[in-house]
Amino acid sequence: MSEWMRVFRQGLSVENPLTVLMIGLCATLAVSTQFQNALFMGLAVIFVLTMSNVLVSLFRRVIPDQVRIPIFIVVIASFVTIVDLVMKAYVPSVYQVLGIWIPLIVVNCIILGRAEAFAYRNGVGLSIADGLGMGTGYWIVIALLAVIRELFGTGKIVWFESTLISLPAGYAPPSLLLLFPGAFFVFAFMIAGARLINERFEARKEGAA
Amino acid sequence: MNSAMKLIVPVLVTCVVAATGLSLTYSLTAPKIAEQDRLAEERSLKAVLPEADAFGCIEDTAVIEQAQAVADPVQIIDMFQATEGGKPIGWAVKVSSRGYGGPMIVVVGLDTSGSTTGVSILSMNETPGLGTKVQTEPWFLEQFIGLPGGYTDGDVRALDAISGSTRSSNGIRNAVAAAGRVYAEILFEMEGVSE
Repeated sequence: MSEWMRVFRQGLSVENPLTVLMIGLCATLAVSTQFQNALFMGLAVIFVLTMSNVLVSLFRRVIPDQVRIPIFIVVIASFVTIVDLVMKAYVPSVYQVLGIWIPLIVVNCIILGRAEAFAYRNGVGLSIADGLGMGTGYWIVIALLAVIRELFGTGKIVWFESTLISLPAGYAPPSLLLLFPGAFFVFAFMIAGARLINERFEARKEGAA
Repeated sequence: MNSAMKLIVPVLVTCVVAATGLSLTYSLTAPKIAEQDRLAEERSLKAVLPEADAFGCIEDTAVIEQAQAVADPVQIIDMFQATEGGKPIGWAVKVSSRGYGGPMIVVVGLDTSGSTTGVSILSMNETPGLGTKVQTEPWFLEQFIGLPGGYTDGDVRALDAISGSTRSSNGIRNAVAAAGRVYAEILFEMEGVSE
């Protein structure tokens, strides 16, 4: 069980897909302009990542080495299509904005990367831990990035037509934050922050040992 | 089993299982998706011509082709004749126009004199919080309402764009201008034709 927790926590901290491994950034920077969309994007990633990890790890002994990548892609693409159809049917307003980024989860390196680097070599239990940990790590970072960009880029945070938080009226939001350069600036600070936190943890662990 | 088959069979099995799972999901969600699309279209048609109680889609492909030639570079998706109690009261032109983030699907409503009654955005992929202002800033779409019958591209271009969202604004302006051209060249002569 402690091994399970260790794998899960790695996805959040020292192996965080966004701030440490820095994979799957393209969709992340594009979608993180709105908190609401980032949340749904994160959920979609958690679902696809965990499900594909489970399947890949279940069948890892019967998947021939030479054709593993095509098989991974088919499995991942299927789950992505399921998410795509379900979102279209039940949350069309979110789907409208996320649009192309949902189908593009297929080629998101995080998911293929975890299938290849983890699920193909580990048991189902640990693969679930890895999928959930990596997915949640992704979710937290993209949500935080979106909160910062939306709040300071538009002056408020909107959740399905209703405003959750808004800054005082005198604030003139710089639209730069909503554009790609802004995404890079904010993200750079987040990487620095994540580094700092991870280093603190490491130092404490060493001190304890 | 020779070595080639050892590679082919697992891939084949994976594909068959995946296809089965997907067709199942599709058949479960398809009616719901069609319903959502229909509702969205109905909402935009209603938004541009609130008085209408029925919208008849123009099926004549020759007319659509003609309209397409006039509307270029904007693409015509559908044209509807709006009626109220069987009496024609106007037109709705559904077009696809290039915005900043790809195609914007826009519905433009015109009354029987060719004057604009409303503009509604069915779907778009503009930058949230920036390009999407064309929808969230009410004055922008409202300024297109009431352009006189036979309005020209120049009339549309004279209207304001949203600063910082020029290309999104142009997407909408081009759509409205195209609808005006389609009216002047084609719909004008179809006046009074019901169904």
